[in-house]
Amino acid sequence: MTEMFDNLPKFVFFTGKGGVGKTSLACATSVNLADAGQKVLLVSTDPASNVGQVFDTRIGNHIKPIPDVAGLEALEIDPEAAAEEYRERILGPVRERLPEEAVASIQEQLSGACTTEIAAFDKFTAMLTDEALIGRYDHIVFDTAPTGHTIRLLKLPGAWTGFLETGGDASCLGPLAGLEQQRERYAAAVDSLSDEYLTRLILVARPRTSSMAEAARTHRELADIGIRNQHLAINGMMPAEGSDDALAASMIERERTAVEEVDSDLAGLPQSHFYLRPENLVGLDALRRMNQPVETMRSGTPRRALDNLPPLSRLVDDIEADGKGLVMTMGKGGVGKTTIAVAAAVELAARGHEVLLTTTDPAAHLTETLAGDVDNLTVSRIDPEVETQTYRDHIMATRGASLDAEGRKMLEEDLRSPCTEEIAVFQAFSRTIREAGHKFVIMDTAPTGHTLLLLDATGSYHRDIMRHAGETSANMVTPMMRLQDPKQTKVLIVTLPETTPVLEAARLQDDLKRAEITPYAWVVNASLAATETSHPLLVARAATEASEITRVETTLSSRYAVVPMLAEDPIGAAKLRALVGHQEELV
Amino acid sequence: MTTVTVYDPPMCCSTGVCGADVDQQVITFAADLDWLQSQGVTVRRINLSQEPAEFTINEQVNALIQASGSDGLPAILVDGEMVSRARFPSREELAAWSSLAFEDQDSAASASPCCSSNTKSSCC
Repeated sequence: MTEMFDNLPKFVFFTGKGGVGKTSLACATSVNLADAGQKVLLVSTDPASNVGQVFDTRIGNHIKPIPDVAGLEALEIDPEAAAEEYRERILGPVRERLPEEAVASIQEQLSGACTTEIAAFDKFTAMLTDEALIGRYDHIVFDTAPTGHTIRLLKLPGAWTGFLETGGDASCLGPLAGLEQQRERYAAAVDSLSDEYLTRLILVARPRTSSMAEAARTHRELADIGIRNQHLAINGMMPAEGSDDALAASMIERERTAVEEVDSDLAGLPQSHFYLRPENLVGLDALRRMNQPVETMRSGTPRRALDNLPPLSRLVDDIEADGKGLVMTMGKGGVGKTTIAVAAAVELAARGHEVLLTTTDPAAHLTETLAGDVDNLTVSRIDPEVETQTYRDHIMATRGASLDAEGRKMLEEDLRSPCTEEIAVFQAFSRTIREAGHKFVIMDTAPTGHTLLLLDATGSYHRDIMRHAGETSANMVTPMMRLQDPKQTKVLIVTLPETTPVLEAARLQDDLKRAEITPYAWVVNASLAATETSHPLLVARAATEASEITRVETTLSSRYAVVPMLAEDPIGAAKLRALVGHQEELV
Repeated sequence: MTTVTVYDPPMCCSTGVCGADVDQQVITFAADLDWLQSQGVTVRRINLSQEPAEFTINEQVNALIQASGSDGLPAILVDGEMVSRARFPSREELAAWSSLAFEDQDSAASASPCCSSNTKSSCC
């Protein structure tokens, strides 16, 4: 079951969404290899790297040996710090000589995901092309991988040839302007990534339909650019015994379906399965047990780790108090933003409020039954793919019309950047925001602070108003001001009760605060601690949620709610209301 | 031959994606500069978010942004002399400044002043 470790080439990359267990698997793989007598370097490029925590040692940005594992060394690269260095290279020399407003504007331009991604890639390439360093190790293991978007951009000659001067302006690769001398090194790094004898890419997924679909997308994207040596690792599977517990039984069934109905492209890849562990993967013992079966745990009396977790209904009480307004759920993919938005909408409608729900739920399986089912509720759907494509076509037809072939290629790739979809979808949503003045409008998405700051077309106008405060500014409201006003807009940050998702959500929150938006509340979704399960493994997992839920409560948000892990998808109004914590009436 | 230098407001992606609509002026202006180049004029564009130092080195441009920030951009210099600021000039004007003959047949230029640099800024 662990072919993942067979015939590993020199470079091993783990890739997947936050919270699937990339770091755990990367650490376990490294320990396994070192225990087998190999010289291994483990490189983490996660800005919130917890590799040090896993090995219970401080690592940082210099190579350090890992105590008690002969042959294993590790290094943490912080892409945020690298991006900061880059910004400083550009801004440092001129900070004193430019007006404050111009500096702030440049600073924001260079604060997006692309800049961080490129800065991280810059560090990657240094490792992939440093012959002396490579020669010292049998394997170099990375706990993350560059995105297809980045690699494609780097392969376009236009990215390097002063596209600025050919009638376009700078691209997302603005950051590359300062890295021209690296061009050959980048090309060599991209070659190494595409060489199957040098590199294996391990796609990490959870045994859930959405996570597997995400892995399939990444697989295709990277295979298309020539990275074909791929392997699928399914992490956190429920062992099939002890399924007399209703929740455990339904989880096992759901996982079986997800794994069996795997995308045909993925089905051809070698697969390894790793089982759900009762403990978090911290410490050498846990890592060395990683690919051994979980010992059957004896049912004891389950101890509830957490009591009195606040249900979503209490949050809905607070939201309801204002009688109208815009509510946006925000979070990384796979945390259940849509479920929470739909549940809140149904609950508000059931309490007699007029509600407009606009959702990106692509399969519509949560919403299609609701339209006729719930009074006071209107549902409008937005298909992100359609919106994004329409938007790209429009830009290509206008912006791209005057460009040469190379320029058009660059523009097409720019339009594949993560922010393009966010903007296209948000624009589609914006059409409905105005209705929030007289009813509840609930959306299952929100733009990041960075995007808002750049989107705020009225930004300088907005600042002017602030400067002349007192001059009848009461009747001049910019969209940004509407989003910043907690009376009009409430952002709910949705996360899972696990380390990485909570860290990622905290970063989203910091980013919003830069745009002077304070999230209204946090929702911790899919919590085992909030269920009644007595399955020993799940009870053990529930106990590991305590530290994350406590962190949300004490340091991350003044208001929060915890939503239980469900035995089945909440289809229909009754199940959605049950999710909120509303007692289903026994008919 | 003439040299035209454009000091652009901060723009990060070539998409200019962040407005509710792509700024038609930006597109037209890019096409006009292409045409200018095809007539043998040397054209250089410098973007505030990538080469800020250039904006401090040139005295005229530096004075402009000290006075009005990036709202004073784009600034157009022809052979080192500033001929326009805070707006995208028309193809006709570009031609005149470069002493080129100009037939008004395929110009779609508009020369309305540009209100805010942020309408063209974009995301990365």
